Amino acid sequence: MIYLDNAACTRLDERVLEAMKPYFFDTYAVATSEFGYSMGIESKEGLERAREGIISKLEAGSGEVIFTSGDTESSNTALKGVAWALKEKKGKHIIVSKIEDFSVLNTAKALQKQGFDVTFLDVDAEGFADLEGLRKAITKETVLVSIQHGNQEIGTVQDLKAISEICEEKDVLLHTDATHSFTRLPLSVKELPIDLITMSAHTIHGPRGIGALYIRKDTPINKFMDGGFQEFNLRAGVENIPGAVGFEKAVELVTEEETRQLKAMRDRVIEKSLSEISDVTLNGSREKRLPQNANLTFHYVEGESVTLHMDMRGFAVSTGSACFSRSLEASHVIRGIGGEHERAHGSVRFTFGRYNRMEDADAAIAAMSDIVARLREISPLSRK
Amino acid sequence: MAEMEIDVRGQTCPTPLVKCRKAFKTASPGDILIVKGTHQASKKEIPMACEAMGLMVLEIEDKEGGEEWEIKILR
Repeated sequence: MIYLDNAACTRLDERVLEAMKPYFFDTYAVATSEFGYSMGIESKEGLERAREGIISKLEAGSGEVIFTSGDTESSNTALKGVAWALKEKKGKHIIVSKIEDFSVLNTAKALQKQGFDVTFLDVDAEGFADLEGLRKAITKETVLVSIQHGNQEIGTVQDLKAISEICEEKDVLLHTDATHSFTRLPLSVKELPIDLITMSAHTIHGPRGIGALYIRKDTPINKFMDGGFQEFNLRAGVENIPGAVGFEKAVELVTEEETRQLKAMRDRVIEKSLSEISDVTLNGSREKRLPQNANLTFHYVEGESVTLHMDMRGFAVSTGSACFSRSLEASHVIRGIGGEHERAHGSVRFTFGRYNRMEDADAAIAAMSDIVARLREISPLSRK
Repeated sequence: MAEMEIDVRGQTCPTPLVKCRKAFKTASPGDILIVKGTHQASKKEIPMACEAMGLMVLEIEDKEGGEEWEIKILR
């Protein structure tokens, strides 16, 4: 199987597993304070070394990163935590873009049901947030803006500098979901005034079930889950120390050279699809996009048929078509950028990872070319 | 050598192909799969998938005055 769905999940790197193993079999105690027993102290040291690795990557300050179970929990913590902390002191308005991942979008909708006013910010045809619209949407009641870094489907990378400057000028907290960009694109909280950042290990060959949330010092935030006092009393529950150690190792293993290779495979798929197959539209920005993401609509075919035929030829790709989605709705991202249902139905996403080679990109496009041509011959959607 | 029937009559794309894929995986080499369907696009798509997977289409037959079709496949 040639796996080209690395935005959904990546294969664990063996070196990550090796780094995690001691924390399953040797140093498996719960993290304890310096007054506890030795194994617990060593566990705590392992956890803090892992934290320092994430902190260092973001150029953050000590104690500004907490570990979570993944990007969904991180974003829930960020949105609900800030909204609950500020609803009495400041207001009940939050702003999210229309094409956020469900972990942000559905959290915003849940807050709406709790009485919060939510603005779903428009994006343009390439997926860029409407900055003028953002400026106008912020009111005295606005407690948080949440706009992702790189889009999970179409790969568009937002202008976080401009967004963070608007939020800073308007004195509103900013959260960004960096699940698909963390380590692949530069992101420094020293350079950008971002207050909260969602991260996850599963997109960078780390283990699933571990993520992190950057929280700038003194950001008002309520605890999301009740329980113990772990993670600076912000995330209750026994710490996933093997996961945290694996996450840090995964971060350490990402290199600029590897990211350049992913970008080259991405560009090959985009260029070959546009030049060798007729009636193809690139979804998202050509220039400002995630290095690992290519998303194209092959008109007059259905994405789920394409993914099925690709699967039977040994390729794993995904689509924004309704039948493929667990929600049974066509991609809200493609519709968010103004695409018709037909454009969402024919969209196919190729996302590359460490274990892909350029031959995989070439083979995928050769298979796509044949499948699309043959499906168009029989498809009821085909041009007559 | 077993014979397996996949009845997808009344079902439209992509369901017939999804059911065939499942059957292809569970069948053993040498088994015969008989797919019965009504959706015309699937009648063309299933042989296309067989070709990609190296399965042999033994026969494609129209039934009920062309309203239904039957595809016989060797796993």
